[in-house]
Amino acid sequence: MSIYQRSESQRDLGAVPHTGEDVLPDGHLVEPQAGDFRHARAAPSDPEWFKRAVFYEVLVRAFRDDDGNGSGDLRGLTTRLDYLRWLGVDCLWLPPFYASPLRDGGYDISDFRAVLPEFGTVEDFVVLLDEAHRRGIRVITDLVMNHTSDQHPWFQESRRDPDGPYGDFYVWGDDDSAYPEARIIFVDAEVSNWTYDPVRGQFYWHRFFSHQPDLNFENPEVGEAMVDVLRFWLDLGIDGFRLDAVPYLFEQEGTNCENLPRTHEFLKRCRKVVDDEYPDRVLLAEANQWPADVVPYFGNSDVGGDECHMAFHFPLMPRIFMAVRRESRFPISEILAQTPRIPSGAQWGIFLRNHDELTLEMVTDDERDYMYAEYASDPRMKANLGIRRRLAPLLDNDRNQLELFTALLLSLPGSPMLYYGDEIGMGDNIWLGDRDSVRTPMQWTPDRNAGFSSCDPARIYLPVIMDPVYGYQSVNIEAQSNSTQSLLNWTRRMIHVRHEHPAFGLGTFAELGSSNPSVLAYLRRFETPGGDEPDVVVCVNNLSRFPQPVELDLSEHAGEVPVELTGRVRFPPVGELPYLLTLPGHGFYWFQITRDQEAP
Amino acid sequence: MTQQETSSVIAELADTLRDWLPEQRWFAGKDRPVHAVTAVRTVRLDGGDPQLVHAVVEVEQGEPKPDRYQLILGLRSDVPEHLGHAWVTALGDRVVYQAIHDPELTALLLDLLAEGAEVDGLSFGHEPGVDLDPTQRSRPIGAEQSNTSLVYGQSYILKLFRRLVPGTSADLELHRALAGVGCVHIAAPLGAIEGELDGEPVTLGMLTEFLPNTADGWAMATASVRDLLAEPGAYPDEVGGDFASEAHRLGHAVGTVHADLARALGSSEAGPGDLSTLATAMHARLDAAQQAVPELAHYEVALRAAFDEVRTVGGPVPMQRIHGDLHLGQVLRSVTGWVLIDFEGEPSAPLAERVAPASPLRDVGGMLRSFDYAAHHMLVGEVDPDQHATAALEWAGRNREAFCDGYAEVAGDPREQAVLLHAFELDKAVYEVVYEHAHRPGWLPIPLVAIARITGHGDTRHDR
Ligand SMILES: Nc1ncnc2c1ncn2[C@@H]1O[C@H](COP(=O)(O)OP(=O)(O)OP(=O)(O)O)[C@@H](O)[C@H]1O
Repeated sequence: MSIYQRSESQRDLGAVPHTGEDVLPDGHLVEPQAGDFRHARAAPSDPEWFKRAVFYEVLVRAFRDDDGNGSGDLRGLTTRLDYLRWLGVDCLWLPPFYASPLRDGGYDISDFRAVLPEFGTVEDFVVLLDEAHRRGIRVITDLVMNHTSDQHPWFQESRRDPDGPYGDFYVWGDDDSAYPEARIIFVDAEVSNWTYDPVRGQFYWHRFFSHQPDLNFENPEVGEAMVDVLRFWLDLGIDGFRLDAVPYLFEQEGTNCENLPRTHEFLKRCRKVVDDEYPDRVLLAEANQWPADVVPYFGNSDVGGDECHMAFHFPLMPRIFMAVRRESRFPISEILAQTPRIPSGAQWGIFLRNHDELTLEMVTDDERDYMYAEYASDPRMKANLGIRRRLAPLLDNDRNQLELFTALLLSLPGSPMLYYGDEIGMGDNIWLGDRDSVRTPMQWTPDRNAGFSSCDPARIYLPVIMDPVYGYQSVNIEAQSNSTQSLLNWTRRMIHVRHEHPAFGLGTFAELGSSNPSVLAYLRRFETPGGDEPDVVVCVNNLSRFPQPVELDLSEHAGEVPVELTGRVRFPPVGELPYLLTLPGHGFYWFQITRDQEAP
Repeated sequence: MTQQETSSVIAELADTLRDWLPEQRWFAGKDRPVHAVTAVRTVRLDGGDPQLVHAVVEVEQGEPKPDRYQLILGLRSDVPEHLGHAWVTALGDRVVYQAIHDPELTALLLDLLAEGAEVDGLSFGHEPGVDLDPTQRSRPIGAEQSNTSLVYGQSYILKLFRRLVPGTSADLELHRALAGVGCVHIAAPLGAIEGELDGEPVTLGMLTEFLPNTADGWAMATASVRDLLAEPGAYPDEVGGDFASEAHRLGHAVGTVHADLARALGSSEAGPGDLSTLATAMHARLDAAQQAVPELAHYEVALRAAFDEVRTVGGPVPMQRIHGDLHLGQVLRSVTGWVLIDFEGEPSAPLAERVAPASPLRDVGGMLRSFDYAAHHMLVGEVDPDQHATAALEWAGRNREAFCDGYAEVAGDPREQAVLLHAFELDKAVYEVVYEHAHRPGWLPIPLVAIARITGHGDTRHDR
């Protein structure tokens, strides 16, 4: 007889396996095991895949509705894998699809081992994974280790029975006085990092929303349980995790409770599990901090990194927008110059847009004002410390700028992360609340519901974009895949060019200065292991809307021939004198520098 | 070739050099015929083939005191094709060419600097604690300049001074002084080549840290102006290319350099005599300018009144070492911020004047004039310059303000010394009038309109 009370979101899990469907005599909850499910076939082995990969962030809810209930699901996503393969995507990043009361976009997880019912089941996920791997596509997802939903059975048990096996799973206190130096992150929503729980009669600690109690990593059983969660999904075949909110795992009096040494110790432990048991899988740190503060999350560089394989480079993105508006390379050059070297086994993740607002946390107040003035003319476009718009509307739907930004994303150091819909220049809907403006259904066809769902349009989770410029009747995959001139086909070609040159993913980066401040030029170079000719790519970007000349010092490559990568056109050979190029407004070139005097 | 033979090289080349020198862009006496070229001293820096010859020559052009120039020549029996453009003449079975284009020979200069060598009265030295990597290969920079600069790898830049005047160069002196107090807005000095001229020390070369990936302030500012002028009716803070935050940072950098110079080399207060001398000098420059450009007469009364006011400036007027020739072309934006270069001072002034304490407002005035130039130069030659005149003026106003705001954060607010600042601006504008009149008549309206504006002859609404 179980005395355990199922929470609301747990009740939805009905007949599917879920945490707490049974209780062991010692009070431990029974949790689903990987062995209970079929496992996906493995992706082709490739230890450095994540350094070369083009990532694609897709919201399960927004991509394709298979069962016609108005909300996208895992099966729907599975049916669109051929499209993603055609586009050239190497890895999907899925924001959380776990069971959740959805009070924080699914980042409030109420069961680490069950899928949100509206998205499908663990079995559906395994099918997605298997089909993706069959096409050479990998899949990673978010994992929130720092906290759970207050609906998670662990928390329900912890508050009910302080002496039970979960009594010490969360950070409890008799008062709200501990860790006063820790800042409140969601200042708009929370007044304290402590909230009183009337059930247990104590305060619990939470760095984010009060409905997201922090797990107590001081308790070794919590670390153990979290490693088991990793193993659960890794056994099913997942290719890695984006670790959400990593800086906050541990607390320590007298500190701001961020980036503590014990947090790093725990990440090292997770990495060891991956290295020992699950080769080719990756950990990606989400830490919205300055690059110098993020680099420790790659771990010890003497061994090539022993914590996360990847981390997001947050400050780069707003500076790309700033540089183009200012027609000056310095916002980008500066942040890249401030970015420390990373361990040999590590890689940055870079992006232009994602499911969150265009975050302006990593800029100065002045720069933020500037960004608001330039990119958020309507106050409704702002959200938290950022701008809740998609790429195309941010750039006034200007094709030249869309291409320039995408070319920068695909060629700057790091693995690019595309956001679903940006490849066709989808619009946003600033009348929708919070960040829903950038989470509307994917636009597949000019048909009803943009081909996203067969449901009654009134049932759709968010209305499809219907305005005259970005509406699905004109902006959709079907129309754009039929036109060779479309943004979609252009993006696809660029992704394919990127794939042909290891220099983009694996190469070194060196900026090529020039006296023209509006031109950003850099050289990517990869020494091929066989000692053959190195792969050398030069990227030249005109951040100005006006045509610009630039003289580049390529004297190191005197006698070699630049070949433009999209059209294979050979340019005049490099001589001793500076190499002169002219670029149209917002134009860019990618060249391979080849020693071969004949056509490559 | 023996040392004996080396010393006769210049004598043998004298005729060639008479024709060759005026073709060099760093040669200052282009407007006068060259009567004779003689060697002051010649030093063979390396034997063998190729050979590096360092020479100081005296160029007789009919002036009471002939100018002296530094030459760095190479001698080779066989000149490779890529050095063809450096060819000067043939001498016996060898070719004389400009050694600055030959990395094989310029490497030697870096070697000597790294060693701290003394060769026949030329002393090569690196700054204390500096460890130079002599393997860096050099190339001359392409810039139009009055000296010759070589960049070694992406690490060092060696400026070889062309026209020599006895005394330590102000550029080297101020770089050293600023480095001594940890100034971050300069390229670190790394070494120097020094010799002797007229029994006094003379600076022949200065090695500093090379800042890769820079753009100069003029290029940065004009990119912003271009952006504004393309948006009819827009105000500068409404367009993406707004330069105010950079201008602010630049003001901060200049203020910091001034404060550092005062800290390193001291400052004093100007006495009434100093101010009077300053006013007299401004009047004298106006006298000369009026000879050349009669249009100035229209503003003479107002200009003289502005210069006279300088004599009566109340309150303490700090005097110290300054940059002396500050404008947007003398500042480089690097990935870490703004850097000031070329502390040589006003090029036409004698060294004694260039190293005398002056009001830092002179530099500020120079920079403010430069903002005005950046704003207006694109209007030159436009069919209807008035179309953009308002925008240009607003751009200049906004960025001049931002510059002063940034400056005021570290040094005194220059706007509080309006009389002096205006006088410096006008003095500079008078100089510009003469220059434009002689070289670019199309640009003459830029300083003339500015004079009208500052003296209240024209539309003053937008004046800062
Ligand atoms: N430290 C440095 N790093 C990078 N570039 C530099 C540096 N110093 C100078 N330069 C470049 O070299 C050019 C010439 O330098 P500088 O002004 O010192 O020489 P100059 O001969 O005195 O010039 P001018 O004829 O303007 O007086 C500058 O315009 C700048 O572009």
